[in-house]
Parts: sequence; C-alpha cells; structure tokens
Amino acid sequence: MQKLQKSVFPGGVHPTDGFDKALSMNCAVTPYYPETVTILSEQSFGGKCSFLVKPGEHVKEGQLIGKPEAFMAAPLHASVSGKVLAVKEITEQGRRLMACILQREESPVSEAEASYKKGTADISLISRQEILTGIRNGGLTGMGGAGFPTHKKYETDKKITDLLINGAECEPFLTCDYRLMLEEGYALLNGVRLLLKGSGAKKAYICMEDNKPLAAENLQKILTEMSSSGLMAEEEKLEIRVLPTKYPQGGERQLIQGVLGREVPMGGLPADVGVIVSNVGTAKAAADMILGNTPLTKRIVTATGSVKNPGNYLVPVGTSAKELIQLCGGITTAQNRIIAGGPMTGPCVAHNWNGETELFHVTKNTSGILVLSEPGYEEQPCIRCSGCESVCPAGLVPYKIEFALLDEDYDLCEKLYASECIACGCCSYICPARRELSVRTREARDIVKQRMRERAVKKS
Amino acid sequence: MNQTKTFSGPHIRTANTTRNIMLHVAISLMPALLGSIYFFGIRSLYITGLSVTVCVLTEYIWQKLAKKPVTAGDFSAVVTGILLAFNMPVTAPLWVIVAADVFSILVVKQMFGGIGCNFANPALMGRLLTMVVWPGTVMQYVAPRTLTASGFDAVSSATVLGAVKNGGEAGYSYLQMLLGETPGALGETSKLLLLVGFAYMCFMGIVNAEAALTYIGTVVLLTFVFGPSGLFTGDILLNLFGGGLILGACYMLTDYAFASRRGRLLYAVTAGVITAAIRIFSFYPEGICFGILTANCLAGALSLLHKKHVYGVKKLKLEEYS
Repeated sequence: MQKLQKSVFPGGVHPTDGFDKALSMNCAVTPYYPETVTILSEQSFGGKCSFLVKPGEHVKEGQLIGKPEAFMAAPLHASVSGKVLAVKEITEQGRRLMACILQREESPVSEAEASYKKGTADISLISRQEILTGIRNGGLTGMGGAGFPTHKKYETDKKITDLLINGAECEPFLTCDYRLMLEEGYALLNGVRLLLKGSGAKKAYICMEDNKPLAAENLQKILTEMSSSGLMAEEEKLEIRVLPTKYPQGGERQLIQGVLGREVPMGGLPADVGVIVSNVGTAKAAADMILGNTPLTKRIVTATGSVKNPGNYLVPVGTSAKELIQLCGGITTAQNRIIAGGPMTGPCVAHNWNGETELFHVTKNTSGILVLSEPGYEEQPCIRCSGCESVCPAGLVPYKIEFALLDEDYDLCEKLYASECIACGCCSYICPARRELSVRTREARDIVKQRMRERAVKKS
Repeated sequence: MNQTKTFSGPHIRTANTTRNIMLHVAISLMPALLGSIYFFGIRSLYITGLSVTVCVLTEYIWQKLAKKPVTAGDFSAVVTGILLAFNMPVTAPLWVIVAADVFSILVVKQMFGGIGCNFANPALMGRLLTMVVWPGTVMQYVAPRTLTASGFDAVSSATVLGAVKNGGEAGYSYLQMLLGETPGALGETSKLLLLVGFAYMCFMGIVNAEAALTYIGTVVLLTFVFGPSGLFTGDILLNLFGGGLILGACYMLTDYAFASRRGRLLYAVTAGVITAAIRIFSFYPEGICFGILTANCLAGALSLLHKKHVYGVKKLKLEEYS
C-alpha cells in the first residue's frame, strides 16, 4: 500500500543532503516545563487576540485567556497552571506585541495515557458539527507554517474531496513532525480521522518524504491495526503516501501538485481545488481537543544546529527560546545566526548571539530553533546561469524579477508573475552568485499584490 | 552591485559559487592544454599564460578605473583567457593575442555590464576580431610538432576541414583527429582531451550537456544529410573531429549566459543549423564561430518562444477531479 510516488512538482532543491536531520532525528521528545511562559497575543502574523485575564489572577492550564480579534486569529489558552504575572507590551522579533506572562505554580502531574493515544478511538458518535466546534474552541492553527487558523480552513462552503495531512517536513534540520509521527501515531491517526470527518473529504492522505521510513512504517502498522479493529467506518479512507525527498515537498501547493496532480489557481486557496492541507501536528491537536478535551497549548519544538545536544522538546506555548537553547547545552559557535523555524524560510532572530539576551517565544507554529554558524557570503553579480529558474517550484524566473525590481519596473514584475512567489527560498539557495533572490522576489510579490488590490479598489 | 547584508532566509546555500564553477571550468581545460603543449610545443603554454594574464589584468584595471567592485578573481577572466588562446594557432604573434584579450574583456564583457551581461561569448568575439582584422596571422595553421621532421620548425599547413573544403584529401586518419595530431588552433585539436574535460564538467554538474550534445548532433546530422556529393554523403567523423566543433560545443556554446536559459535546445539547434549551413554553403570550412555567435545574439529572443508554465496560471475546474 505504501507507494513511492515518482511524479512530483517541477524544480526544488536538495539542501544539505541529510546530515542535518540526523542531528536530532533520534532524539525522543522530552517534555519541558518552564517556570514562566510568555504567551504572545499574536500567535501568527496578523492573528491578533485580546487577553481576558488580569495580572494577579490564577489560571488553569487550558483555560481560555485570549479572544480572537482578527480574521487570522484563533482562541488562546493558558499553557501552564499558575498566576498571571503581567499583561504588557513586549518587543518580540522587532515588533511591539501584547503578551501575557504566566508563572507556573503547579508541578505537572503525570496522567494515565488516554485511550485515544494507544488505540483506535470510536468517533462514530461525534458529529461533524462537534468536530468543527472543537477545532474552533481548541484554538487550533496550522502548526507547520503560517499558522492559519484551522477552523477557517474546515468551515468552507466549497466541496472538499481530499484531505492532505502534511508530514513531509521538507525543511532541513527539523525533526519535530518526524518524532510526532513516530511517537504519537495513534493520536495522530485518530486526529486524521476526525479531520477527515470534519472536512467531509472522501479520502485522507498522510504524506511524508522518503527520508522518514520508520515513521511511514509505524503509521502503516497502526493504520492496519485500526482498520482491522472494527471501529473504523467504511468511508474512512486513509492512505500513507511516501514522496521523494525534495525541498519544498511540504509546501502546501507543491504537496497538492505532487500527490493529487492539481494546481491551486492563481490567487486561490487549496479549497478551490477541493483540498485541505493540515500539518500532522494539527491533526494530533485535533485529537487532543476533541477526544482528550485539551486545547492546543503545547507543541513539539526541535532545537538543533550548532548546539551541544540537539533535541526535540514538548513545550508549552510561550516558552522562551533562550531557555530551550540552554536546555540543549548552549551554543557552540560565537559567529552565529539564530533562526526561528527551518533554515530555508525561518526568520533570523539574532545574529552573533551571545547566549544572554532574550530571543523569542514559542508560538503555535514554531517548529524549531536553529543555531547556524554565520555563513558569511557576499552578493556577486548575476552570471545568468538560470539556476534559480530551474529550481523555482512555482515556475518563475527569479533573476528577471530581481532585475525588474531593482529597476523599479513593477509592471514587468507583474508580467513575470511575481505575485505567485511562494517564498520557499530555492532560488537564493541555488544561486552561485549568492544573490538575495528570494528576498527580492518576495518584495516584488508584495508590491505586485498591493498594486493588484489598489486596482481592484479603483474598479469597484 | 548591492552589498546589502540581509539576514532573511534561506540561511543555507549551495556549495557552488561563481568562483568555484569557473575554477572547475578552468581545471577541465587543463588536459587539452597539456595536449597542446605536447602537439605544438611549449609556446602554447606561453601563449595561454599570456592570454590569461592579460584578461585578468584588463578586468582588474577596468574595474578599478570604473570604481566597480573588483571581481577579477572569480576565474571567469581566466576561462576567457584560456579559451581565447585555444582559438589561436601556436604561431600567432603575441600582440594579436593581447589585442584580442583586451577586446574580449573590455569591449565584449565589461562594457556590456560585466559577467553575465555580455551579449556574446567574449572568447569567440576575440577570435572573430582577429579573424577579421589580422586574418593572415591567425588563420595560418601549423602541423603538430610531432609530425614535422625537425620537431621545432613550424610548417604551415591547412586544417583538415580546410583541406577537404578545397577539394583535397584530409591527409590525417580519424584517430589522429581524435587525439589531436592535426594542424589547427592550439586547443581545438585534441578532441579526446577536450572530451575528458567535458566529462569532468558534467560530473561536477556545472555544464548544460544537453545544449552541447544537441549542437553537435545538429551539425553532424545536417552535414551528413547535405554532404558534398549529394544527400547522405557527408563524412560524420570528419565533421565531428576534424575542426573545432568539440571545443565550440563544450566550452563556447555552453556559456552560462546563453545555454542555461529556457529554450536552450532551440538555441543549440539554431547554432547547429547556422554552423552546418556555413560548412556546406560558404567558403569557410568551420563555421563554429559564426554559428555560436549568431545564436548567442538570438538567445534572448529564442527563450521567449519557450513559454514556461507558472504554477496555478492555468485555470482548472473542480469537476475534473471529482
């Protein structure tokens, strides 16, 4: 049943050839309970929440503390039980944001493992509406990338035919999704079943790259066990798809193209071609919320790169990145870059970090903390090798867009479809002249999109 | 050049840089250089060394004078220098080589904006200049040292293709052509060693082999079909190994600025058709230089003919899947 798919999206790169993942691949997920957590009001860009608690109040883990205020927001819950120390504005990655600082007062109690974490759950009595309400109230967001609120994806009036569960984890260095698939297989697959029911799709595909054979094996074993348990309904069709290892295999659009052969139309969403894509972490969180009644307050974070002991940690939302790096034994290089997320798309939060200052706090979509030694390259003139063109999964010509942008020729940027850039970073990665193609193409994309919006406003 | 230091992703980069790509190209030319020293004597080394020095110096001085960032150390001028020397007969006067070098780097490359912005291959433009301005000095080819009795006196001799063009006999076996024991420009004769270098570039993944092979294929096919004595009478091996086809295809045609765009196969075929047409119809025996230079100039237009699919632009209907 496991099939290795050959045909995939065009372009793409093979960054670092796999040594990177080996750093943390065999590190089991360790829970970590920090003394204080700093929960940001914006868990993803544009997802603003307002806090419902006041300093001095006592909160329980899982208690609702933030109410969504923007389209991109999902409800916020306390990630530890304890006292609210402060609700104040802090500077996070160069932005001023409201944050709620909680002090942990209770030690974590080890509970007996819930049944959905070690066997097939009976979901026949849970209605679709209950699942959607659960997703909304549980504060679920995409846990792989942009952190789009999950309920916005599932409460669509478009007809959904396929559900893709994204475990590709194509970013180098990160292994949090891999560990999740390996260690939380039952919860994950129960979550996938819930999401399948919630989406109304005919079939769910759990997709991963072929550099994670153990995870595929594990999930396949559990899936076989589940389908023979008699608790799975006839219409619940799940399939494990193993895809070739290629970045950006886990990009939403590329995954749809690779697995289903469909292309999301320009300016559209996956729902336009009948697909919903959710991260494996989101599926597990759905199971936790609907079957275990715990909202999304914790996630697995990979801390890796130039640290003494790389590892995967299960941490409450709001954990400080500095603490996590200290947990790994600290950094091993003074000339460094600290990156929130993967090395291809993650923002650099600190440069030549000394190990003292505060970095950032874990949000629902933080998949990793990466310490890289400073690469130290300089931009050279473009040699027109068209490397960027051949690796662009969106089919763009980044070097031409770059020239057009530097010439401030935005009409040309638009003609070159700069608006379709997915910001994967393949072009910058492959460039032998070290041009910052990805940065400039993204800039061009934002300008072109802004112009398109302005035109649309003028027309109406 | 913008020296903006950005800290946004991606934070990891491929190991390939302009410098080491060009270095690999220069390394891949070394076997052929050794071959030319063997066949034409130590003067080929002097000529190549002079050519490289002049190219790098020209680039350096220009960039200094024009107050541009100095990129003379990126080995691209070295490659141009070697290729230009490879296009000269071993007897070429040194001042001709210097003039061609300065023209290539200054006029063809730097005046048009430096690396990547040249409108045609600089080395071939340098050769074209010498062919037009000093034909007497650079179109005089000599027989290899290994074939002459004294071993050191250069004996003026027609190239294989030139001899056949003028109705004569090739005078050399195919094996000699393959190994390079024929009269010709100093780097173009030893096809085997050039192919070794080409294989090295393919192995390092820094060359568009498909463009080179398409070009060779087109030339050989057309010259075979439209042979000198009627259809399908062309001499495949003579056309393949007799002239500078291998050097042109592997190192000139595959110039990054032209051969890596989309539509590169069309580009290679265009160059091939022009080269073959010159070989068949004109009094020039080779046609490589003109074929590639013309295709260089057309490359931009040709790439526009090849539309690339942009993700999501083609509108599809949901009904098609469900």
